Amino acid sequence: MKKRFTWVVTLIALISLLAAACSSGSDTGSNEGGSTEKVKLTIWHNFAGDDLRAKAVRGLIDEYKKNNPNVELDAQAIPVDGYRQRLSTVAAGNEMPDVFFVYAGSQSQEFYDAGLLQPITPLAEEYPDWKANFMDGAFDRFEFEEGQIYSAPVGLSATSFLYYNKDLFERYNVTVPTTWTELMTAVKTFNDNGITPIALGNKAPWVAQSTILGSLADRVTGTEWFLKAVKGEASFTDQVFIDALAKFKELVDNKAFQEGANSIDNTQAEQYFIQGNAAMMISGAWTLTNLAASATDEQMAPIEVTTMPAIEGGAGAPGTISGGAGGGFALSKNTEGAVKEAALDLIYAISGPDGQKAIAESNSMVMYKMDLENANVSPLYLKAFNVAKEAGITPVYDAYLSAEAGEAINNGLQEIMMGGKLEDVAKKLQDAQARSTQQ
Amino acid sequence: MPSSLRARSFVTLALLPALLIFLTFGIVPIIWSAYYGFFDWSGLGALKFVGLDNYEMMLQDPIFWRALKNNLILVASAIIGQVPIALLLALLLLKNSMFNRIIRSAVFMPMVLSTVVVGLIWGYIYQPQFGLLNTMLDMLGLDSWVRAWLSDPKVNMYAVSIPINWANIGPYLVIFIAALQNISSEVNDAAKIDGAVGFRKLFYVTLPIIWDTIIVTIILCISGSLKAFDHVIVMTGGGPAQSTELLATYMYNNSFTVYRYGYGSAVSTMIILISALLIGLNYFITKRRS
Amino acid sequence: MLPMTNASAAGSRSATWRKPFRLLLKLALFLYAIVTLYPLFWLVISAFKSNQDFFNHPFGLPLEWQIENVTRAWELGDMGRAMFNSTLVTISSVVLTIVLGTLAAYAISRFQFKLSGAVKGLFLLGMLIPIHSTLVPLFIFMNKINMLDTYWSLILPYTAFELSIAIFLCIAYMASIPKEVEEAALIDGNGWWGVFGRIILPLCLPVIATVTIIAFLRFWNDFSFALVFINSQALKTLPLSLSLFSDGYGTDYALTMGAMLIAVIPTIVIYLIFQEQIMKGMVAGSVKG
Repeated sequence: MKKRFTWVVTLIALISLLAAACSSGSDTGSNEGGSTEKVKLTIWHNFAGDDLRAKAVRGLIDEYKKNNPNVELDAQAIPVDGYRQRLSTVAAGNEMPDVFFVYAGSQSQEFYDAGLLQPITPLAEEYPDWKANFMDGAFDRFEFEEGQIYSAPVGLSATSFLYYNKDLFERYNVTVPTTWTELMTAVKTFNDNGITPIALGNKAPWVAQSTILGSLADRVTGTEWFLKAVKGEASFTDQVFIDALAKFKELVDNKAFQEGANSIDNTQAEQYFIQGNAAMMISGAWTLTNLAASATDEQMAPIEVTTMPAIEGGAGAPGTISGGAGGGFALSKNTEGAVKEAALDLIYAISGPDGQKAIAESNSMVMYKMDLENANVSPLYLKAFNVAKEAGITPVYDAYLSAEAGEAINNGLQEIMMGGKLEDVAKKLQDAQARSTQQ
Repeated sequence: MPSSLRARSFVTLALLPALLIFLTFGIVPIIWSAYYGFFDWSGLGALKFVGLDNYEMMLQDPIFWRALKNNLILVASAIIGQVPIALLLALLLLKNSMFNRIIRSAVFMPMVLSTVVVGLIWGYIYQPQFGLLNTMLDMLGLDSWVRAWLSDPKVNMYAVSIPINWANIGPYLVIFIAALQNISSEVNDAAKIDGAVGFRKLFYVTLPIIWDTIIVTIILCISGSLKAFDHVIVMTGGGPAQSTELLATYMYNNSFTVYRYGYGSAVSTMIILISALLIGLNYFITKRRS
Repeated sequence: MLPMTNASAAGSRSATWRKPFRLLLKLALFLYAIVTLYPLFWLVISAFKSNQDFFNHPFGLPLEWQIENVTRAWELGDMGRAMFNSTLVTISSVVLTIVLGTLAAYAISRFQFKLSGAVKGLFLLGMLIPIHSTLVPLFIFMNKINMLDTYWSLILPYTAFELSIAIFLCIAYMASIPKEVEEAALIDGNGWWGVFGRIILPLCLPVIATVTIIAFLRFWNDFSFALVFINSQALKTLPLSLSLFSDGYGTDYALTMGAMLIAVIPTIVIYLIFQEQIMKGMVAGSVKG
């Protein structure tokens, strides 16, 4: 009996030792006392890769580190694939880092609603020129209260350029479409000649929504209607939206996209296009970055860029592209005092004029007005940059819809491509959006 | 000290550490998660108790039922496919010749590779325009069979289940080989003397001895198939239009993408309940048979 | 002695078709092996291609062997350190799983005690848990006890989730070890610990090797726990390095494949070593049994 008791005691001792080992490992140097006066600051972002933009942002953070020796900066670059999950988990545990990257749209909205953010308005007050220099709409998804901004965008996500292969258009004598009728003629001609009219990789279902539907629907319904529908003052079951979906269906029915577009990803579609299998591709600015990294110069030579064609009789303006703030750095509610000062400085170091310029020169669009020196960027990027500068920007659907409604329309477009009914898709979207506006 | 007491202290000490870690890091979190299932919670901010509302919503959601059906397809294909093929291979490859060694290693390789690679390769096989499968069908003159294997909702769940089965045979093979080797030579000799050879030996001697292992593999098939996630995420992302949605991807999406964490937790609890139910059923059936 | 040889002995009456049949069987196995080996081969050749090459000739050999894919992935992904961390975490978890798992399995399979059914059922439950749903509770819990951002925050959950499989495989395996062996050893004056250490563990080598292979793979490739429970760059494990080269809009396949090639080599080595162990265990087992 005694022996058993000693065993149990030994075991308990062992376990507590284990626990002690665990806890001692983690709090390396918290509460270090005030003698060094070092401010501890954490920042999380998803600029983890090897692409130019990620390197540019990491460079900005490193520079801040160098210029601020009194700040002990813990910068975490988290792979994009896991970023959302990581942030959601720590948010559930209310353990946010001081500064973190948020996507403009449902993510920033949810974080705001949950009371996890505090405004970065002091920056705007300190640097009024900086704030004024942003493009229209830059703060739409970050201005949750009148006069308070919660982040500043570090990217313009322009989502619907029309890229086309000049050589193919010349070879089959097709005019580059500026109207819907011309587009449908082009679709027919290319199909007759065994060329895929439009390359689409919609395996990740946000692609068709973000690149095609945004612009297409805006041309049919107009921007005003969409913003009303988001607020619940109009309904996605309205005839005007059904008409917009019908335009998308028209593309599907006329075999504008290659077979199986729902099972190949965006990268594969880009390759399919750049290899000359498809005449057009409707895609965002990211396609510029991807092609720059993976296509040869000969492949790039015939590629041109413009906006989606106008739709006759539609309520929306022609020549616009859908887009919006890509995302920005936000400040955690729990950050106070000296750390907050340092955090605001850091946000400005990345999103301020110098930061915006560094990011723009990494072949990546920003929502900040500036002149680009031609020498620093690729020619196709410059073309697209100028197209975007002249075009009006219309909203991207999933930046305004609730997360659930965004999923509904993403899946809905895939459903239409599989022969689903427009009315059902519209209703699911409406139901999902209504659920979130009620709360 | 009497031996029964010694035995008792041994059992306690042998079980305690495993139980402790398992309860703390396995069972407690899952109960915790089940608790979230009773709340309307986005995963951020305040929780609102809603009782069984999440479960009610789940049972009314056609996507839940579709996901369940897809999971059952996986369970069936795993039990019909993985277990018998792995057992057959184990029986064929048991002898330790050089040839068998090479084959054994080869069969395991898909398991070693990351699901991303498996997904990419099968993506190329199923690719609608120039994929291997469609090209072959074309060459064989079976043009009418050509299709977009991963996006056609009539076939894509079956198309997805093939790579999953193919990649998962490895571990079952190893499990069976280990079990078969445990059959002592006396048993084999005795079987020989009794004239039990070939299939008769297989059914009357070999299978009964490794029967426990077979049951464990079937349990693994059921639980593994109901938790299946990675391959589908890589190959189809659960789409198009949620046609290859599985319970685990459905749970994940709700929890981490559309900010319905409470609902996602309810789905996760449901996954456990369904697995338990199926395993109970399996237990019932196999108990009767043996 | 084995089913195959018995089958051939029985087949003496039909010796004429036995040989071609076996040849055919070997051919079929060989073809199957090629199908299963091909992805590995594909990974190797893809790891040395440029991005253009990867897309333009997905099945061809590299036009130009780009060794720098692998070296750059190694550097950019800080894979040296990640490899060290993964090795440490994985091996600790495997050892813990095996030690605790075999002990528990032995206790459950050999002793009749009141709660044995309940304990078995509890461990069975462990096999059913979808790990993603435990992320948030585990995060909150480990945050409270200050365990986040340590090796333990991975080792203990890994062990907990693998114990179930380990225990069930071991129980099934132990069921076919004859009890007489232990009884003899007990009479010889060994305590239960002695019996377990000297008799049972050696006999269980094949199943231990099996569990090692399966557990190693799971721990080595885990993304979710490693993503959420580890903060410090210094403690990051390999799977995080593998997803670095994908930005949500496109993937740098040259670097991704290079990184994957690095990561897969240890798993292949482990498999080959422990597969031999399963085979050696057979010899040891049949001598003792």
